[in-house]
Amino acid sequence: MNQTLWDFFITRQDLLLELILEHVGIVLLAVAIAIVIGVTLGLLSSYYSALASIILPFTQIMMTVPSIALLALFIPIFGTGFLNGLIGLVIYSLLPIVRNTYIGIKEIDKGIIEAAQGMGMSERRILLKVKIPLALPVILAGVRTATVMITGIAAIVSAVGAGGLGELIFRGIARTYRDMIIAGTILISLLGIAADYGLKAAERSLTKQQS
Amino acid sequence: MIKIKYENVVKQFPGSDHLAVDNLNMEVHEGEICILVGPSGCGKTTSMKMTNRIFEHTSGHIYIDGVDNRDINPIELRLGIGYVIQEIGLFPHMTIADNVATVLVEKKWPKNKIHQRVEEMLNLVGLDPEIYSKRRPSGLSGGQRQRVGVARALASDPPVMLMDEPFGAVDPITRARLQNEFLRLQEQMKKTIIFVTHDIDEAIKMGDRIAVMRYGQLVQYATPDDLLSMPANDFVSSLVGGNRSIKRLNLIKVEDIDLYRPPEVAEGDSKTKVVEAVAGDKLGVALVVDDRGKLVGTVTNTDLKRKGEYVKDIYAPAHDLVGPKSTLRDTLSIMLGYGEGYALAVDQEGKPRGAVSVDDIFSAVKDNE
Amino acid sequence: MNRRNLIWIIVSFLLSVATIFYFVNYPGGKMAARLLNFETITKAYQQHILMVFVASAAAIIVSVSLGILITRPFFSKWASIVDNIVNIAQTIPSLAILALFFTYLGRGFSTAIFALWLYALLPILRNTSAGIQNISPGIIESARGMGMSNLHILTRIELPLALPVIMGGIRTSVVITVGAAALASFIGAGGLGDLIVTGLSVSRNTLVVAGGILSALLAIFLDQVLDLIEDSLRIR
Repeated sequence: MNQTLWDFFITRQDLLLELILEHVGIVLLAVAIAIVIGVTLGLLSSYYSALASIILPFTQIMMTVPSIALLALFIPIFGTGFLNGLIGLVIYSLLPIVRNTYIGIKEIDKGIIEAAQGMGMSERRILLKVKIPLALPVILAGVRTATVMITGIAAIVSAVGAGGLGELIFRGIARTYRDMIIAGTILISLLGIAADYGLKAAERSLTKQQS
Repeated sequence: MIKIKYENVVKQFPGSDHLAVDNLNMEVHEGEICILVGPSGCGKTTSMKMTNRIFEHTSGHIYIDGVDNRDINPIELRLGIGYVIQEIGLFPHMTIADNVATVLVEKKWPKNKIHQRVEEMLNLVGLDPEIYSKRRPSGLSGGQRQRVGVARALASDPPVMLMDEPFGAVDPITRARLQNEFLRLQEQMKKTIIFVTHDIDEAIKMGDRIAVMRYGQLVQYATPDDLLSMPANDFVSSLVGGNRSIKRLNLIKVEDIDLYRPPEVAEGDSKTKVVEAVAGDKLGVALVVDDRGKLVGTVTNTDLKRKGEYVKDIYAPAHDLVGPKSTLRDTLSIMLGYGEGYALAVDQEGKPRGAVSVDDIFSAVKDNE
Repeated sequence: MNRRNLIWIIVSFLLSVATIFYFVNYPGGKMAARLLNFETITKAYQQHILMVFVASAAAIIVSVSLGILITRPFFSKWASIVDNIVNIAQTIPSLAILALFFTYLGRGFSTAIFALWLYALLPILRNTSAGIQNISPGIIESARGMGMSNLHILTRIELPLALPVIMGGIRTSVVITVGAAALASFIGAGGLGDLIVTGLSVSRNTLVVAGGILSALLAIFLDQVLDLIEDSLRIR
């Protein structure tokens, strides 16, 4: 690492820390909301195939929409700022979570469900005690995909004034300040890699517990 | 005549401290099926795959027609050797016709000749080219895929074939049928074949000579008969297993024994005629043949209870037939499955050859011992 | 032929045309009208599509060649290294790549193409190598055992079998590139992103929304076209 970049990290550590917190904050909040909505939609889809045939292709299509375009579309409704960025990130997180919840439930061995029914468990108990625990590793894998993905996309929400490490890149472009851009890039990538490894470890310990 | 000769062949895989093949010396005679048999990891597949240089041997020599296979360009070498492996390895993106044509295309045969040859090969293995040539491998059953694998390997009429458990991935009944058909083909083709299997029954049934391998070494190389009567050591006897008399049934074919011929009736014959025939037969059965002489069914006392004036109204359709090349072991299992004391044999045109009874099998084993 | 693909292709095309006509007729103010006219929008499309096309085409050529190279036995040790590099590189946002290239090569269209090309390499490279590596070994061994030359094994067996997977990588890559090209406006490379970026800086919602809708529809359109192609290549 060259000297000026190092200096940048040292001298601007307060700003960097603030931006990291903003970045992590918006990502965590978005993922948390997406888990609530996504898991619910995924579960509903697993019960009502008509719903599944609408929700799954819709989330798929939303994924292809460029992030800057999606954020732009919300401007007239939410204006610029944190809320706009947050809603954009929630929408991107939905697809992997909805899809994995749906697949996780659908791929459970039918025999296990039948056994649970045979023992007289109510559907509510089966869902809570059998289906969700068994689908959990798959759901968590969806959460990981979503988290890693929106950690990167969160760089762009700065464009609509939602803050985060993207600030460093946009300001860096405006001032042609390379070290600032590199610092932003490195921090965003590190957050993405950390999220990937952290959630992978969580998945692994979960699968170990179950087996 | 010696076709393939292994001389002090050693194979050590990189990074491994033991020898996969340890000083193999063996001669394979022209026109014979040489079976390599043994437990997994015994070096049988490795030995086979060194023949066409899929694996290169560490030391020693492999001669084909007296020429060291290292002196032949590997592509040339392989184009002259048919190759069928257990996974069959049909190309899923190509039609059955294109799969069979693979070697011919590599050999740059003209298109019309390839087309003709492919049809010939598909007919040979019992697949109607009209139906199958444009299909893809995914549209075929396991047994049909294995047939295509064999057709593909035979297409360029190579004098030598390497087969690694070519009938491994199908159910036992299909397997026995494929084996019989292949033996029938081999009778005409007289290829020199190296055939790998872990199934000693298959080895005894298919092999002219059997090479038993263990820990990379050749333990015994003998004809099936000698292997059964004079196993070289405890390993070979345990591999051959108990019930050697039953194993011996693999060595005797239907055509080797005298067959009893039950009476024959035509489809159009009257019921009275068939009642007489059945009553006079020692097995209590009459064979029903059509106007071309093909066996279409049987009439037994049970069938006589059915209503109808003519034979065609009452007979039971024929099934589970054996051929002249079927072994007595296959015949016995068909007999047991069928629940009758006999199995019916037909020739290649489907005309009746006679009946094999349990007594026939007993006496055949006794005579042979 | 997949009907859903076809419907999306037609719908996204018609919606784009409708969007253009709507905003050209109702630009919402004089300032926005300077950008919301047929001429400017056509130019933005041209720039956008050219960026995507050049970057993707170059990425396909390089990535497929590289993917073939690293799946040769001689380079087999490299394959996992390349996989790791690709995985880490994909956590870098496309915006960051554009920004970094901008500091070295300056503003403009060619800088953007270069950055987009680099970013587009990853999914195609990964899918090419995975597509070839996932072919069942029995198929390759059969081909080799029957005397096929290495070149023929590559051209007649490996590439045709890996093609649907490679096509999937191309599709992912193109969709990402359409999105990244919308960001290229930040480094002065034009494209549909210009409408959004200008709209944001002058606070004109019609510009922002028009740019958003048009680039979203372009991504959906190309995604569905490529999905249709991928589907037709799948081996049944």
